[in-house]
Parts: sequence; structure tokens; C-alpha cells
Amino acid sequence: MAQVKQPADKSHFILPDLGEGVHEAELIKWRVSAGDQVAEHQTLAEMETDKALVEVPSPWAGVVTELCGAEGDIINVGSVLVRYGESAESGDPPVSPAADQARATESPASEEQEDAGTVVGSVNNDGDAPSALTRRRNEAEVVSTEQVRALATPAVRGIAKQLGIDINRVMGTGRGGRVTASDVERFAQHGAAGESSSNQTSRQRVTVADIPEHTPAHPSLPADSGIGKEPTLPPVPVDPSGTTEVIPFRGVRRKIAEALDRSVKTAVHFTVVDEADITDLDRKRKEYSAITGRKLSFLPFVIRALAHGLREHPALNAVVDEVKSEIHRKGNLNLGIAVDSDAGLMVPVLRNAEKLAIVEAAEGVARLAAGCRDRSIPREELTGSSFTISNVGSYGGRFATPVINHPEVAILAVGRGYEKVLAKDGRIYAGLSLPMSLSCDHRVVDGAEGARFLNTVKRLLEDPTALLG
Amino acid sequence: MPITTAYETRIDHVSILDEHGVFDETLGQDLISEDQLPAIMEHLVFCRQLDEIAFKLQRSGRMGTYPQNTGQEMPSLAAALAIEKADWLVTCYRENTGLFWHGLPPECILLHWMGDERGNHIPAGVNATPIAIPIGTQMLHAAGLGWAEKAKKTGAIAVTFFGDGATSEGDFHEAANFAASLKLPVVFCCQNNGWAISVPSSVQSAGETFAQRGISYGMPCVRADGNDLFAMTKVMKDAVARARAGEGPTFIEAVTYRLRDHTTADDARRYRDAGELETWEARDPLPRLRRWMEAKGLWDKSQHEKAMKSGEERVAEIISNAEEIAAPDRSEFFDHMYADLPASLKRQRDSKRTTSLGQFPEDLA
Repeated sequence: MAQVKQPADKSHFILPDLGEGVHEAELIKWRVSAGDQVAEHQTLAEMETDKALVEVPSPWAGVVTELCGAEGDIINVGSVLVRYGESAESGDPPVSPAADQARATESPASEEQEDAGTVVGSVNNDGDAPSALTRRRNEAEVVSTEQVRALATPAVRGIAKQLGIDINRVMGTGRGGRVTASDVERFAQHGAAGESSSNQTSRQRVTVADIPEHTPAHPSLPADSGIGKEPTLPPVPVDPSGTTEVIPFRGVRRKIAEALDRSVKTAVHFTVVDEADITDLDRKRKEYSAITGRKLSFLPFVIRALAHGLREHPALNAVVDEVKSEIHRKGNLNLGIAVDSDAGLMVPVLRNAEKLAIVEAAEGVARLAAGCRDRSIPREELTGSSFTISNVGSYGGRFATPVINHPEVAILAVGRGYEKVLAKDGRIYAGLSLPMSLSCDHRVVDGAEGARFLNTVKRLLEDPTALLG
Repeated sequence: MPITTAYETRIDHVSILDEHGVFDETLGQDLISEDQLPAIMEHLVFCRQLDEIAFKLQRSGRMGTYPQNTGQEMPSLAAALAIEKADWLVTCYRENTGLFWHGLPPECILLHWMGDERGNHIPAGVNATPIAIPIGTQMLHAAGLGWAEKAKKTGAIAVTFFGDGATSEGDFHEAANFAASLKLPVVFCCQNNGWAISVPSSVQSAGETFAQRGISYGMPCVRADGNDLFAMTKVMKDAVARARAGEGPTFIEAVTYRLRDHTTADDARRYRDAGELETWEARDPLPRLRRWMEAKGLWDKSQHEKAMKSGEERVAEIISNAEEIAAPDRSEFFDHMYADLPASLKRQRDSKRTTSLGQFPEDLA
């Protein structure tokens, strides 16, 4: 649990972990204004974590001199939420949060602070720079020149010591800016040159601006980077005339947007499409439905075909760790199922889909979809997929260019099965055809491999005996 | 006759002060002395204040996590009223009222949730076990404590608390079987608050009641309104008397409701119906007792205001006691595992160095 250390002088309040393992929260509403006298335990703001809407109380009594963040901002655990002073008018100059962060870093307990905002915790608060330590780029660009102590494990410190390197001069590329063993080794080889070329007189703490684009502080959490945080282009002004409804772009909607934004900016998408003749499979499907007494869609059969296909083509059942530059191929098929819910797109995970019988897969999908619709689905059922299927056909349409559920490397969109004139062995017949669209991350999956995989899936769907045998 | 009844039983539901304020004079007579009630009310006011403030301490980063007790104050308090100082309270984590009444300093509970293990250092003379977070372990401890007291012929008993979900754990069944088969002086009290975090009791068990889970082990089972201090005190007193008389354990199901989230890491709105919460807010045990006491002339507005004020001051004092405790010394790491510290650990303690890099500490010095 990331326990943050509040400043002893009560000059500012650092956003704590509001649940268990919460790393950030969206500022929904301020309940105080700058200049307000607040009592201990008085609510300062309403914030929404990925778990709950919570009220954040003041840990002590005082006069709030500054609210650090605007409604709608995502605030990192470990960032300053409000500042306190003697009074609104004659408040003491705010203490630099960097100094406090540095102080906090000296206690062994602060190892536990993780990446929870300490990455951006060294933003200087001088001049007109905005003070909220949110992940907004314009603020994060203000870099502290203060010498601070690097984050590193004792083992890495030991290596640095053995090599005679001052670890505080090493640029950390690990989680939350931690200095890793390879950082130390790289520094040992190229350190001096690298450092002088960085045009800095003293070593600085890693800030967001230093982290390569698309390298999340937390690789597993899609919300850690994305839209609104790397505005390289000036924003396009919007003409409000004629607007009939303004919908806040936040909450689940924004999580979805951030995940998609990251995917298209990271993965190199290519899409290959094909159709499978599922005339025979349709007959099997009806047989299965009659035997099990349960109306089965094609989805569980497609899941079976995917499981077979991915075993033959493991390159597509994988996730990319951008931080470590590693491709992780997965043994089991933890299949993401794109579900359209009232709150927006959700992708629950069908675990070990390769082990499921047709009916079990159907039941699993139904259970996950119901859980998404009434929002009762536990968070852990929404993470850990290695390939995703999107059943776009149930809403109409044949082909699509699906966006990969990053860090996965492939996604299959299945269209609606439709009756079509088909030909086989010189004979024309009316059959049932299933359109399929496969998007792959070209960085990981070659075009030929993607096409071969889709072909395997097609072959299985066209031959129910091979598929179900 | 080829078919006869092999076994038949019945489970009673006990209610004395019901949610409409109706008091059963026959059952309720002499259960709790009227002289004691103002002190009980004051205690309840304080416990609820502490509970609400503890929640805020977590939200402002002053506590790691916290499970609120609000709504479930009565069952453990009834136990504390029914037992003697030498008896054991073996609880999970929604029994603050009973633990404090039994003598546990409230600072212990705050320290525990602040992540300071000194919160689990129960002062000598207070017969309570550290609060049990892993679901179900404490029921076995209670059976063991009861067994030990029986062997030592002290006459002391153990009362253990657990939730509805815990009755699905093997630990419950093992503890219940040991206690009943060996006629151990134990009281099993299940706080059925309707939810095992987000799992409703309808999913937890197909049984009509949780009380009946004790039947198969051969112990008497009873159900009571867990939001009724009098009903809980009655069933507790009966069960304690049985245990002390050597007749073995009793299973009590206290039907109650947690009016807050499971813990500070939970948002019950995501799985609980607002209407259900409203229903149970109307059954809140504190206002129920307060209204009855005011009608009887045992409590009034000024007493309540006084209790609120002194409760507030006490809460502030307890928080500052807990927060201002001196940080432990690093060498204390080594103090509580071994009677005789092995040489390698002694070296670590003295040098404050580890061997995690493969070197001997003396090489690093």
C-alpha cells in the first residue's frame, strides 16, 4: 500500500491512497475554496478512484490557500492536493514540494511510495508555474533542478556502489523512475558522455517529461498515459453555438478513450479480412442447441476456433511490455470479450478459454456480459487478457477495422453471419457466411502470420468435425 | 412403521426491543440493569464517533485501511456484558464495542489499522485475541482457548465472532465439530450482515438461516435480532451460562446489517440496493435504543449532547495517542520471532546490514 508521508509543517496535503492500491483519482468536485478556514476531517473534495466515489477530508485544521488541480483532473497519489497557510492573504510562501519529497525519500518507508506520483513530485513551484502535481504535461515540463535521491532497491544501490557510481546521477527507467541494475550498467559504460550531452549541470530527478512517450509509469494500467496529457498540437477551439448537450468527457468514457488512444499511437495496425463458410457449422450449432437446451450463438464456436488457431500461431496470443521491450507469449488463452454496456465499452476476460467446452464458453461469456451491464463485475475480471474478440455482428455490419486492446497484439472482429451464394467443387449453393476482420500489431505480427492465423480459424469454422472433434 | 422421525429441531428467533420500539417486558426483565444503561449509551456514542472518524483518517492518508462497524455494534457489546473479565473475546474486525467494553484500549485498534503491529499487543489482563483479518481463523482459536480453559478447569469461556461468509469456510466446521464433540465452553456468534463483501447471503447459503449450520454438530442454535441489545444480551447470557455449566457450545446467529462499506477499499453502492440500505437505516440499533431509553426517562437530550462532546474529545485524544507513538527502533525487527536469536540474525541486528547481496555484513562495514 502506498502510504504517503504528509509534511510535518502541515503546509500542504498530499493525496493519499484512497483505497487499497489506488494510484490516482479523478477530481470530481471541490468542496472548499481557496481562503476557506477548514476543520480537521472536513471534506475538501469529492474524488473518484477506479473503485469508488469518495470524499477526501482534511487531515488537520487550517486555512486553505490553494487548490491544486481543476475538476476533471486526474491527480496522482503522492501529489499535492491543497496548500495551507496562515491566512488567505498573508500566507507563507509555499514550501517546495520537491524538498518534501526529497525528505520523504530519505525514510526507508518511502520505498513504499512506489511510482505513485513521486515521478512528477519534483515539479518546481516557482513563479507562475501551475502547482498541481497532476500529470498535465504543461506542468510536468517544469523541471526541478534540485539534487534529489534516486529511487532504487538496496541490491541496485549495492551494484552502483561496487562500480563506484553515484546512483543519484543515474537516470532511472524502471517503474516510477526507479533506477534499475541495467540503468547502472548502462551508466557505467556510457554514463559520463550521456550525462554531459544531456546539458545539465547537476543530475535531476526523472520527471514525466523525461519518460519516453507511451511508456506508462505503470505498464498494466491503461489510464496512465493518453489523451490530454501530451498535447503536442494546440487544441482546436470548439464553437458552442448549436450545441444541444454538453457531456463531460471523463470517467469510464475517458478511460476508454485513453486506452484506445494509447493503442493507436503505439501499435502499428494492419487489418486482414476474410469470410468463413459456416453452413455446416450452423447445422452443428443447432444440434448443440437442441441437445443442451440452450440457444447457442456462433460466438462459443468462434472462441473454440480461436483457441485452436492461437495454439498453432502463438505469435498472436501475446502482450508487449513496452517498458522492458519484451514480447510475452502466453500459454493459455485469456480471451478479452468486448462488451457494449451502458457505461461504454468494457472488455471482461474469459480465463483459460482453450479449456472450456462450448457450453461453458457460452455461459462464461453470458456471465461476464451480465456483470458488465450491471457493473457488478470485479476489477480483476477486467484485466489480464492476451487476445480480444469483438462481436460487431450483433449490431450489424460485416467488416471492421478493430482497434487492438493494447498491450495485446491482435483482435478479431466477427461480423454477422449472412446467407450468401457460395460455390464449392463446381457447384453453386445458398450457404451461410461469417465475415471476420483481424487487426494485428505489425511491430510484432508479420502480415503473412496474421493471414495464416485467420486462415486457420476459417478452416476450422468451415470443418465442424475438425473444430469440435 | 417403516419411516419414523430420526431427528427434529426448531430454531427460535429472539427479539425483545423491536424496530418499532416495542419492548417485551417478560423477556426483557432484569436483563440489563437500568443503572448501567446510561454508561452503555455513552459507550455506543463514543464507538460510533470513533468509527466515523477512523474512516476519515483513512481518506486523509492517516490510516491504511479500515472496516467500519457502524450498524453492527450490539452483538459484541452484548457478549462483553454477558461475560466475565477472565473470559475470552475472540473476534474478527467488527467488534469494537465489545472489545473496548471488555477492556481493550481503543488505541490498539487504531494502531492496528495504521499498520503498527503494536496494536496487536493486547495488554495483560485483557482476555482478547488480536483482530482476525483472514476469514475464519479465529473460530479455531476460540475452540482451542475453550479447550485449554476446560483442561485448566478455570471456568473461563470463549466467545468468538465471525461473519455469514465465514460459515462457508472449513475453519468454522472444524471449530464447531471440535467444540461440540468435546463439549468445550465456547459461544459461536455469527454476525449475519447479509453480505460477505459483495456476495449476498442468498448466494452464500441455500439454507433458510445461518443458525442451522450449527445443528449438524449437535449444538443448540438460536437466531436473534442483532440490532437489539436486549435480545442479543439474552441469547448471549443463555449461551454463556450453558458453556460455563459444561454443557458445550451454542451457535448464535445475529441478524444485522453493515450500514457502511465493507472496508475503506470498498464501495457498497456498486452491489447493494439503495432501498435495502434505507430499510436497514430505519433499524439502526443506536437510535432504537436511544428512543427507548428517552421514553423510559433513562436518557435525555442534554445527556446525549454531553456524551457527544466527551466522545469527540476522547476520540481526538485516542487518535493523538495512536499517531504520536514513538517509531519503533529498527532492532525491534528481530525481537519477536526467536527466543534465542540465531547468530546470522544477531549479526544483522548489530550491524544493521543484510546479506542480500551475498556478502557478509562485516565485509560491507
